[in-house]
Amino acid sequence: MILLTNIYKDALIGAIQVKEANLTVSDGFKEEMTALIDKGNKYIVVDFDGVIYVDSSFLGALVSSLKYAIANQAEIVVSGLNKDVSGLFQLIRLDKAFKIYSSATEAAERKS
Amino acid sequence: MAVSKKILLVDDNPLVLEMMGRALAKEGFNCLKANSANEAMVILEQERPDIILSDYHMPDVDGFAFRQNLIAVPAYKDIPFMFLTSEDDNELMLKGINLEAVDYILKDTPLPIVVTKLNNFLSTVREQHERTLKELSVAAMALNLHSVPQKLPVIKGFEVDFWHKPFQNYPGGDFIDFITIDARYTFIVLGDVMGKKWGAWYFSFGFLSYIRAAVRICIAEGNFSTKSILQKINAVVYHDPVVNDVLSSLSLVMVDTQEASITYSGAGDLPLLYYNALHEELKQIGSSGMLLGLMPDGDFDEQTIQLLTGDRLFIFTDGIIDFEDTDGKKTDYNTFTRAVTPYLNQPFAAFKKSDFLQEKIIAHIDDCSLIHLQKTI
Repeated sequence: MILLTNIYKDALIGAIQVKEANLTVSDGFKEEMTALIDKGNKYIVVDFDGVIYVDSSFLGALVSSLKYAIANQAEIVVSGLNKDVSGLFQLIRLDKAFKIYSSATEAAERKS
Repeated sequence: MAVSKKILLVDDNPLVLEMMGRALAKEGFNCLKANSANEAMVILEQERPDIILSDYHMPDVDGFAFRQNLIAVPAYKDIPFMFLTSEDDNELMLKGINLEAVDYILKDTPLPIVVTKLNNFLSTVREQHERTLKELSVAAMALNLHSVPQKLPVIKGFEVDFWHKPFQNYPGGDFIDFITIDARYTFIVLGDVMGKKWGAWYFSFGFLSYIRAAVRICIAEGNFSTKSILQKINAVVYHDPVVNDVLSSLSLVMVDTQEASITYSGAGDLPLLYYNALHEELKQIGSSGMLLGLMPDGDFDEQTIQLLTGDRLFIFTDGIIDFEDTDGKKTDYNTFTRAVTPYLNQPFAAFKKSDFLQEKIIAHIDDCSLIHLQKTI
């Protein structure tokens, strides 16, 4: 399991359980996200708290999950990005594709 | 990388399960345990073991029925399967072999032998996997499939060169191309299919074909806008079922030798680094476009920069800015800026030999690609 899931209000929070989100976990992550969307979750928070590095395979799995979510009228937001990861999101304009929150609870409560 | 040895044990006898589990865990196996075939199916929804070792005699669903159920599911069909049985019965074994079971282990086999059998089997699988990769690599070479150019284009008044290192020397997701239209226009293409190794490499050809086609079509229509080329590529990728689950970044630069300018549009790529020789300053040139295929409208823009003699442009993928220190892996754009600064008054060839790039070869974090363009006259 790459995501530890938890329901908070109407949001499903999936906390990433690895420090390095890379090639070795990206396929598993994509499968878990697909399953969560298939189960009918409409607002999924992917919480990066504790993640220190994200590689392009993992980002690929994240954006491909987003495409699947949009096709299923679901929304994926992200939270808990550290400085490096947040910088990377901005560098490659993923901040335009995902709403970014500082913490999972704020994301679940949709606080801007 | 540590060798993965995840095993799923299926037995209705909790004692056997516990003993086997402990013995295998001691030998470095990560054990998943199920009391029944049904429980095993639930575990398989979440985990993919390297091998399944299942009892034959079980109430409700027996080992054979379990094996049959697995064969019916494409995702589980190929997981190596071994029977654990107390019966030394030829007919039973034959039935099992017909079910594509890999092997039998008799229940009274001493545990060290069970462990050796499993280890041998798993290393055979790995060796086969590596052999297949090698063969694939040879085949790709033979087919002359390259995701990076074999020679550099001649662009009047400019010098262009690149540095490329695939992840662990497998062909990867980065792709580079130079498309020469005529003496005036040359397009520089740098993309990064998200992923590593073969999966990404395979798709890099799909993307490259679309990009080449889009560039040619736009030019043929008299359209020299890198933005509209990106829009065309994005529209195709977004709707194409073959590549729409795979995303790629793209930096597209059109060099115009007559105007001594470049026009740039990007899709989820890293900002280019531009060196203004007159003012001796480095500047990031960012674009607004999102990854190819992510949204129906990629929100692309384009910008044109006039280049003077000595001006340089660095175009690169994220492998160049990934590094590892004592706290683990990191990504920082400024590491590249700092590394290249001392080389700005030297030829690009000198930077190619820099410690910074040489360390990328050793670190092997990701595919690394860097293109350098310089206005020479």
